[in-house]
Amino acid sequence: MSIVSNLRANLRTDPKRELWFTWYSTVAFYSLYSVVFFVITRTQPPGKPWLDPEQTVEWFADRHGGLLFGFGLIFVLGGWSATAIALIAYSIRRMSVSRAFAYSYLVLYLIAAVPGFLLICIAMTAGALRPDRNPEMQRWLYDLGFLSFSGTMGVFLVGSLIWMAAILLDKNRVFPRWFGYLNLCNALTEVVIAPSWIFQRGVLAWDGVIAWWIDVAVFGMYTGVFIYLLRDVIIRDDLGTGPLPERPPGRPRRLHPLAKVLR
Amino acid sequence: MAAPDTSTADLPDEEIERVPGEGDMWFFVLFESLVFTAYFCVYLYFRTQDERAFLEAQSALNLPLGIVDTIVLLTSSWAIARCVQEARAGRYPAARRLALATIGLGAAFFALKLVEWVNLIRGGHTFTSSDFMQHFFFLTGMHAIHLLIGFVALGILVHQLSDPQRRSQETIETCSTYWHTVDLYWVLIFAVLYIVR
Repeated sequence: MSIVSNLRANLRTDPKRELWFTWYSTVAFYSLYSVVFFVITRTQPPGKPWLDPEQTVEWFADRHGGLLFGFGLIFVLGGWSATAIALIAYSIRRMSVSRAFAYSYLVLYLIAAVPGFLLICIAMTAGALRPDRNPEMQRWLYDLGFLSFSGTMGVFLVGSLIWMAAILLDKNRVFPRWFGYLNLCNALTEVVIAPSWIFQRGVLAWDGVIAWWIDVAVFGMYTGVFIYLLRDVIIRDDLGTGPLPERPPGRPRRLHPLAKVLR
Repeated sequence: MAAPDTSTADLPDEEIERVPGEGDMWFFVLFESLVFTAYFCVYLYFRTQDERAFLEAQSALNLPLGIVDTIVLLTSSWAIARCVQEARAGRYPAARRLALATIGLGAAFFALKLVEWVNLIRGGHTFTSSDFMQHFFFLTGMHAIHLLIGFVALGILVHQLSDPQRRSQETIETCSTYWHTVDLYWVLIFAVLYIVR
């Protein structure tokens, strides 16, 4: 059987195909997000908060093409983030807790995406679009971009707490309880970013060792762990209700549809 | 000669050594300890960069108040440890009293911390006045947030001890583990911010 016909057969028969689609979308979205922010636009790690207007103009000039191309990609594909949020909301719906947890999480992240994700793209693209603009104005856009991105990370604090509460109250064992506590660790590091509204230099500024580097290290681990655990949830999910079955001991792991095709 | 069998398979459950409370809570303890260790390393590094300025700002701290804070919080840890022992022995009313005493001592610690912050701010030592104060308010503030979460854990503990239908030794020990962790972080913060000169 050819790869194409194998794929077609799997797509027709696998009852979890939509879940796998959202999971692969989540991986693809986070990969795109990392490449755009860290490599193409070089807006992460963030610029120095204390740059003067002339230095800000240089900063934009240094990244001109990357900002326009990278954030152009985000404007086209940024909506992709919906699949990751939807999959997390689905996992909360699969728990024994009230649906209010899933709806709260969904609404919170969709609203938080505007200050925490889109505003930096708009501000930085506006700065890159007209490099001959008044330097003071360029610095205003620079501040708006980084304050909206780094400074508003705290809005995700409540999201982590909602997820934590749902996991700790859940009786369906959708996620291990230690992941509930990891949500608390992540939420506590989100608090750390709040002082970036006050400081232009030092460890708590938006590019500071504590406010950015330690925080991103924790968030990176947290993201990797939840993507892995969402995969585990899909493997164990029986698409029913009640406790999620455990993986049977000694049984080989089920292959993903893509792996089945390539086998 | 055959090696002695050290397996625990034949031992009754109560004789098998285990970590107190949920194993998952210990994951939190380890992970959060790593994060705090990173904060301490950052503080100590920046301290070495400008030791004189740090020492000068540090002299504004009220060491006796810090010692009282530490004694109050260590006493709360003793109370919660006694609470777990009483609960293990099935003496739930005594365990509940000790849990309430832990909450009272935690509240006293928080009140002392507020007094210290207000006094420092009145003396012109604010979050933005120096690098040392930036670290001081940040670390003690983060600890205070952990402490406030600890009140939620202690509330769950008291609720469990009050209701015979809900009592779970594992949950009681898990809440206690969290409180000891809050205590441990304070002892480290006290040593690093108040004692190290």
